[in-house]
Amino acid sequence: MKVLMPYIRRYRKDVYIALISVIALVFATLWQPRLLQVIMNAILKGDKDTIFQQGIILIILAIIGIIAGVVNTIYSAHVALGVATDLRSDLYDKVQSFAYADVEKFSASNLVVRMTNDINQIQQIVMATFQQVSRIPLLFVGAFILAMITMPQQWWVLIGMMIIVIAVSLYTYKKMSGYFAKTQQDIENVNTVARENLMGIRVVKSFVQEPHEIKKFSAASDSLTKVTAKIGYTFAILMPAFFLTANIAVVLAVYLVGQNITIHPTYLAAITSFISYLMQILFAVINGGFLMIAASRANISLGRIGEVMKTDPSMSYVEGNSDPVEGDIEFDHVTFTYPGDDAPTLRDVSFKVNAGEMIGIVGATGSGKTTLAQLIARLYDPDSGTIKVGGVDVRQLSEKSLRKTVAYVLQRSTLFSGTISANLRQVKEDATPIQMQWAANVAQASEFIERLPLTYDAPVEERSSNFSGGQKQRLSITRGVIAQPKILILDDATSALDAKSEKLVQEALDRDLTKTTTVVIAEKISSILRADRILVLDSGRIVGNGNHKELVAHNSVYQEIYRTQKAREGARS
Amino acid sequence: MRDLKNAGKYYWHYLKKYWFGFLMTAILIGISTACIVIAPTYLGRAVSELTTYLQQWTNTATRGDASLGSFHKTLWVYLVLYLGDASTLLIASMILARITAYSTGTMRVGLFRKMQRMQVQYFDSHSDGDILARYTSDLDNIFNAMNQALIEIFLSVAQFVGILIVMFNQNVTMAWVTMGSTPIALIIAAVVMKKAGVAVNHQQDDIGKMNGYINEQVTAQKVIITNGLQKDSIAGFRKHNQKVRQSAMSGQIWSGVLNPLMQGMALLNTAIVIFFGSWFALNGTLSTGAALALVVVFVNYAQQYYQPIMSLTSLYGMIQLAITGARRVDEVRSQPDEVQPADGKSLAGIKNELQIDDVHFSYLPGKEILHGVSISVHKGEMVALVGPTGSGKTTVMNLLNRFYDVDSGGITIDGTDIREFSLKELRKNVGIVLQDPQLFSGTIADNIRFGDPEASMERVIDAAKQANIHEFIASLPKGYETEVSDEQSIFSAGQKQLMSIARTILTNPQLLILDEATSNVDTVTEANIQAAMDRVIQGRTSFVIAHRLKTILNADKIVVLKDGTIIEQGNHDKLLAEDGFYAGLYRNQMVTD
Repeated sequence: MKVLMPYIRRYRKDVYIALISVIALVFATLWQPRLLQVIMNAILKGDKDTIFQQGIILIILAIIGIIAGVVNTIYSAHVALGVATDLRSDLYDKVQSFAYADVEKFSASNLVVRMTNDINQIQQIVMATFQQVSRIPLLFVGAFILAMITMPQQWWVLIGMMIIVIAVSLYTYKKMSGYFAKTQQDIENVNTVARENLMGIRVVKSFVQEPHEIKKFSAASDSLTKVTAKIGYTFAILMPAFFLTANIAVVLAVYLVGQNITIHPTYLAAITSFISYLMQILFAVINGGFLMIAASRANISLGRIGEVMKTDPSMSYVEGNSDPVEGDIEFDHVTFTYPGDDAPTLRDVSFKVNAGEMIGIVGATGSGKTTLAQLIARLYDPDSGTIKVGGVDVRQLSEKSLRKTVAYVLQRSTLFSGTISANLRQVKEDATPIQMQWAANVAQASEFIERLPLTYDAPVEERSSNFSGGQKQRLSITRGVIAQPKILILDDATSALDAKSEKLVQEALDRDLTKTTTVVIAEKISSILRADRILVLDSGRIVGNGNHKELVAHNSVYQEIYRTQKAREGARS
Repeated sequence: MRDLKNAGKYYWHYLKKYWFGFLMTAILIGISTACIVIAPTYLGRAVSELTTYLQQWTNTATRGDASLGSFHKTLWVYLVLYLGDASTLLIASMILARITAYSTGTMRVGLFRKMQRMQVQYFDSHSDGDILARYTSDLDNIFNAMNQALIEIFLSVAQFVGILIVMFNQNVTMAWVTMGSTPIALIIAAVVMKKAGVAVNHQQDDIGKMNGYINEQVTAQKVIITNGLQKDSIAGFRKHNQKVRQSAMSGQIWSGVLNPLMQGMALLNTAIVIFFGSWFALNGTLSTGAALALVVVFVNYAQQYYQPIMSLTSLYGMIQLAITGARRVDEVRSQPDEVQPADGKSLAGIKNELQIDDVHFSYLPGKEILHGVSISVHKGEMVALVGPTGSGKTTVMNLLNRFYDVDSGGITIDGTDIREFSLKELRKNVGIVLQDPQLFSGTIADNIRFGDPEASMERVIDAAKQANIHEFIASLPKGYETEVSDEQSIFSAGQKQLMSIARTILTNPQLLILDEATSNVDTVTEANIQAAMDRVIQGRTSFVIAHRLKTILNADKIVVLKDGTIIEQGNHDKLLAEDGFYAGLYRNQMVTD
């Protein structure tokens, strides 16, 4: 609630109008039986004037009810959507302020769920609160008071009915919550089997395991069927029990009126309104119960949103000028452990790279190549040791300055939906067509871009699905080089390119970006043959630092990698 | 309308066997409703009897005759009627709960069974998310609607009919008065629902776009951070967010206003009934007691009269979703099954050779992928398929296992077309190892014995050993009993492929198709996979789809595919000597200093 209140307060005016209209609506609903009582008395007396007068009031009251209902809906929607929009906006800002480690901590898909589903839950409960919930206590209290005024002697009939209804609700709720947990588990099991079979349909078919998988799925599904049936049976008790209780109360009330009719003859006219109030109380209690369940679900969503909002970015940047720094890199005794891991991924790594050099990094999967590159781009901060770029500790660089200095091209290249030029302009706002063409030339992308009907304004679809793997990587490199960064990191960024294009990219980088330090992470030794120096990583340590010739001669880890990739003897041509 | 027809067909298929249950429900609800609509007349009678009693009692001359006996009897009848209502309603609800749970269970299993029979083409042409949504959201919508709407529909219809009958029985004029506002209410409901439908569609579109944007941005957060694009990202988000606010506003208002409007109409209708009722009471020929009773009864009816209309309108959205859901699930149900030969021949391995003969094939009509491919393989030979992406390598694999059938030409094993074998027999003889192998939830042992759930533990361990994965499995705390699922990452991509090889070794297939893993496997793990592959290929007829040429240097035959045509064929040394496309590829991939 603490999370929600400040947002609701922003819509104070709408909240007031929504609440006032609810009160008007409740008033109209509750006053009608009152007027009915008056009219009934008038019938007994044969008083036509009163009937006509009260009848007009009745109809006016009903019209007020309709108008209040409509106004209430409109302003409830104002509040609900205002709150949801603002909350989502703040949540999004918060996520954008996160360091990468924070995003990973929640996981991206989880954050998406919080911004979509959870916010939606809250929007619905806020809407329901102002439309329904606020009406319930008013109706309940109002109906209760009016019922007491109508027939004060029969208070215990009302209380008795309420106690039974609440007791039945609590009993079923308790019984049901166990079933609900089981349902959730069963649904998950069913979905898991369905998803696995969907993704592995070729495996299932080629091993001819369809009957076995059907058996597996049926078992999971039957378990779900049984528990939903049990829930259904329990629910089936509720409504009949409620109405029976209410009607027993009605009979009791009428019976008592009959017994005392000679003492309180006016009660004869009050029976109908008393029954109306009794029913209003019953509905208020039932609806209250249902809304409690909805509210508890929204409360979970609110907690999940609050968790994100309360998380402070684990990394901050210093303020400062936004000019790029020079392209030399220095690691000084750097050790790094991923949050949640026990063992460090990088151990005591030290090396230096001069501006303009081309550095290759090789090593087995999990040896820490990508981690090392990510530290240069300050996606994470090290546990100990320092990383300097342009002679400055990266933690002392402003965010703008660091981003202008370092360009990072990922292996899984992601372009945003829009157009090619929009993607390039994101990195360099004022990029001219000529600059775009230059960057695309470097990345060996111009050849296929220029064959597209709209060339640089060609659309990029979601997940860049209209480009092949190699094209995506080339576009990604284009984006990486367009701002002429001082440091360019290619993290296995040419894996989908054939060797010829890869070579052409590297030659272009050499020729056109002479001042740029290039860090190339590669699985294939052929990708880094041209590097000035190669760092060999093994289990988080640097075990080799030299050029290809030196490493082939002396470094055993490098030799092992090389051996597996070397052409067969005599295959040279 | 087509939606409605398909949905109707679907529900008919799954619900027809519950006809007796539905019949019972209808009867029970009929009784229950009769109780409910008759009961108020007894309440009215009670009031009128009480009035008579009071009048007799007030008049000293008749005081001695005054008795509450008939009043009490009337109350008992009232109570018995509500007991009848409660008990019949309880039984009816239970029957429906059972039908709902079991019929949706059958629908779920039916969908799964269908999925297992369908052609692979369907899975290739639809996204996993879209198919999975049929289990998660469509079946869910169907269940929700049946769970909540079914009983409501029964009740509302019965209640509506019941009230009409009783009202006209009681007093025709007052019945018409009570019904007077109905046309207005229905017109309002129709207009609002139509507006709401349009507005909600707009809203869903905009929400879909916004969710898409959030998803794209946040999953690419690394790119945003490394390029410093946070401000751009926020600006883009704001636009979507504002748009959603506007369209959702009208969506929420239009769909939210129906209920208060109907409640208001009920209020207005009650007021009208009271007004006319009392006028009628005073100007009619009725006694005061009877007039009073008439007003009491019709106020009660007026309140009940709108109940079914309100219930049905509030269910509209839910029913709409259930219709769409049924339509979508039915769409799957009407997909063609895999083609099975009428009496399929059995297949006991390859005796001499397998022939791919002048095969033409297209996934989409008019876009041919393979243009007359012919390959012949002798028993025990290894054939490597090489070529750039899109050349048709994987397509060949799809055809060998009959995931797809050729357009023309044919594939024969010892002279018999593979389409003449029973599908089961054929696939039992063909083993595949996929690029990105799927694991299934269960233990590691279950996954290795996937193709033969009865296999002994010795056979499982033996297969794992041959696939070079035994040592890793043995090093896990729970060994072969470790629970795995496809999402959780005990295995690296390379190890997953080793698991897949073990799984295939266990079934001892005659013909083997290996689609080599492309990426995420470092060269050392690759050497491990290579060794396992060499072992599994040994003595079997095999096709290897190779991405790294290192794997296939020893192949008996290397087939180079380009744009769906074979451009080169021969062993490594021969192709290298020809110095064509293959030789170029080879020089590109290998370190040749």
